[in-house]
Amino acid sequence: GLLLVVLLVSHMLLTKEGVTSLPICPNGSVNCQLSLEELFDRAVKLSHYIHFLSSEMFNEFDERYAQGRGFIAKAVNSCHTATLTTPEDKEQAQQIHHEDLLNLILGVLRSWNDPLIHLASEVQRIKEAPETILWKAVEIEEQNKRLLEGMEKIVGRVHSGEVGNDIYTPWDGLPSLQLADEDSRLFAFYNLLHCLRRDSHKIDNYLKVLKCRLIHDNNC
Amino acid sequence: DHSQWPQISKCRSPEMETFSCYWTAGNFYNLTAPRIIQLLYKKSNEEDWKECPDYITSGQNSCYFNASYTSVWTPYCVQLASKNELYDKKCFSVDEIVLPDPPVHLNWTLLNTSQTGIHGDIQVRWDPPPTADVRKGWITLEYELQYKEVNETKWKELKPRLSTMVPLYSLKTARDYEIRIRSRQRTSEKFGEFSEILYVSLSQLGIGCDHCTEEVEFPWFLVVVFGVCGLAVTVISIMLSKQPRLKMLIFPPVPVPKIKGIDPDLLKKGKLDEVNSILACHDNYKTQLYNDDLWVEFIELDIEDPDEKNRASDTDRLLSEDRLKSHGCLGVKDDDSGRASCCEPDIPETDFSASDTCDATSDSDQFKKATEKEEDLLGLDRQDEESLPSHANSDPQRQHRNTQSENSHPWAPFADSVESPRPSVHTQMSNQNSLTSTDFYAQVSDITPAGRVLLSPGQKSKMGRAQREGCTEQNFTMDNTYFCEADVKKCIAVTSHEENEPHVQEQSYNEDGYFTTESLTTTVANFGASTAEPPSSEMPVADYTSIHIVHSPQGLVLNATALPVPDKEFNVSCGYVSTDQLNKIMP
Repeated sequence: GLLLVVLLVSHMLLTKEGVTSLPICPNGSVNCQLSLEELFDRAVKLSHYIHFLSSEMFNEFDERYAQGRGFIAKAVNSCHTATLTTPEDKEQAQQIHHEDLLNLILGVLRSWNDPLIHLASEVQRIKEAPETILWKAVEIEEQNKRLLEGMEKIVGRVHSGEVGNDIYTPWDGLPSLQLADEDSRLFAFYNLLHCLRRDSHKIDNYLKVLKCRLIHDNNC
Repeated sequence: DHSQWPQISKCRSPEMETFSCYWTAGNFYNLTAPRIIQLLYKKSNEEDWKECPDYITSGQNSCYFNASYTSVWTPYCVQLASKNELYDKKCFSVDEIVLPDPPVHLNWTLLNTSQTGIHGDIQVRWDPPPTADVRKGWITLEYELQYKEVNETKWKELKPRLSTMVPLYSLKTARDYEIRIRSRQRTSEKFGEFSEILYVSLSQLGIGCDHCTEEVEFPWFLVVVFGVCGLAVTVISIMLSKQPRLKMLIFPPVPVPKIKGIDPDLLKKGKLDEVNSILACHDNYKTQLYNDDLWVEFIELDIEDPDEKNRASDTDRLLSEDRLKSHGCLGVKDDDSGRASCCEPDIPETDFSASDTCDATSDSDQFKKATEKEEDLLGLDRQDEESLPSHANSDPQRQHRNTQSENSHPWAPFADSVESPRPSVHTQMSNQNSLTSTDFYAQVSDITPAGRVLLSPGQKSKMGRAQREGCTEQNFTMDNTYFCEADVKKCIAVTSHEENEPHVQEQSYNEDGYFTTESLTTTVANFGASTAEPPSSEMPVADYTSIHIVHSPQGLVLNATALPVPDKEFNVSCGYVSTDQLNKIMP
């Protein structure tokens, strides 16, 4: 009993940035109906967490492998999700319909499913990869799945009528992660992590905008 | 010299809607006309470099990109150039360079004051920077508050938080405070500029007391004192407590050297029996160190090396438990000889196999016993009664001894066998304790019915002193094998005065109560041949007489049998009959 309490308390203290499970509607309950606000809260928390992890992972990778290699000069390479036309500034974000935006978010999340899986597995093959990077890659992949599920729930709630196009961009960057040449391979990783950071920031922002718009009526 | 060249110092977006880039002109500027420097930018999905749309809004040496030029997640590159030269280049995306403006409208309100009126709590509020669109959720800001007393130098920081209000507790009403706040984008690391300073003065509100005593700071001194006292009390109580386990836990006992089973006090008191029994208990170590013989009480310490007698006395040996321990009388092999002597402590255990110090054989021991007894009896040739008259030299060793005794004229009983010039004797030689060593072992060599006890060192005998005079005319017959001790003593005593030979005197005038062969030898030799007056009574001696009692040194008490009246031809000195004399007597 005491051990359980200690574990619980320590978990609560340790998960500062992480997502804490809310007491309402535990997983697996069928009849429980979370409010939209609740769903959005969770989604925002998740997206923020994912962006936080991506940011840290990129910084660590940059610090460790990218110094002196001039990657940043080459980092204008576009990400594989660039084909999805997402709002690039506040006005565009204001103007887009929330359903479209939700679909876009879903599309981006789905597009990252595959790369995240491969990232988690390929990053282990980097020579002397720090444990923190390895752990973060796995964690991001996991949380992304959860966010996707949550978003699908939200979309199911919000969306009325027909479901929009299944927006999705395939990823073909796996060979670049497995290049024999270490420099090229590291640059491929750098690029992927840079794109991940950017896209996670996008999603985080979009969700906050949507939340403020839909839940708080533009008065966060 | 690149430090003088124009450089892009930073690019910053305050709200993620616009951004500006700033540069330093360097010393270069003076030489050329203004506005030569250009800032060109390019988005990642474009091909051409474009010039900065606004050089003015952000100030000098800046370039301002308004909302229409700003795409948040698009990578940009900007470069500083003049007509034909490129000075600097930077690539970034807008979401990476967000640095918010400081919060505005700082104010505070009083929450409550303490009962003493010395402290108070306040609530600080502010508004987010006006440029940041927080309401629509386009940007999420974190705030960090810092405060300090007016006359302090170091700011205290609070943890960054999302809310735009924070309470401050336990501010002193008598002091004034300064507060400042800065903000950053939630996922960034860098903070924006600080806001304006907010001044907090609780005394202005009329609260608090001016005459309140200054609060005592944490009484470190008292804490230390009480802590030390408590610790001391705890330690003392533990030391005095009866609980041995607790005591052992905290104060483990310091090991001291000791032999298992031997009490040092026991040795000091000189309880030889107990020590003997204790030593005998170890392993199969049998000892007959202290036999029951009245005549002989001595410690047989077997040595190989005659030099070893110069070492420490028995006392030291026994009491130096480490040596005993390490060199193990305890490791003595038992060979069923019936007699295993205590090993010399100096002999290492490894040598046990080599030496036979601890490997006594019964024969040798018995022989030894016998020989020593023999010596004690003033060289009386008494192995057993039968052999006396015959003086049989059946045992060559005995004969050897006999001759030896003749040569040395040993009168004085000496307990241990002497430092032997007898190589034939078994290697086990008992150690001859030095005269000067004062052992608490008293070697009682002989007990006379008169009450005179001849002892080993440690007891002063008054015998030497008693007879100081009258040794001048003593003649010792060199013919005779034996001397009376008394005679010798007289002579010795006299000679000690007459002859000023310190060394001999020392030896002969020994007050220890026994004499060594050497001393006697020298003494006797000095005298030359002088006959001794037989002081003792003349007893009629039979042809064969059984010896009743041995009254050495004065003589034998023989059984009364038909004794032929001895002629006065021979001198019965002290009642001993030499073989020659006997032969004379006998028909």
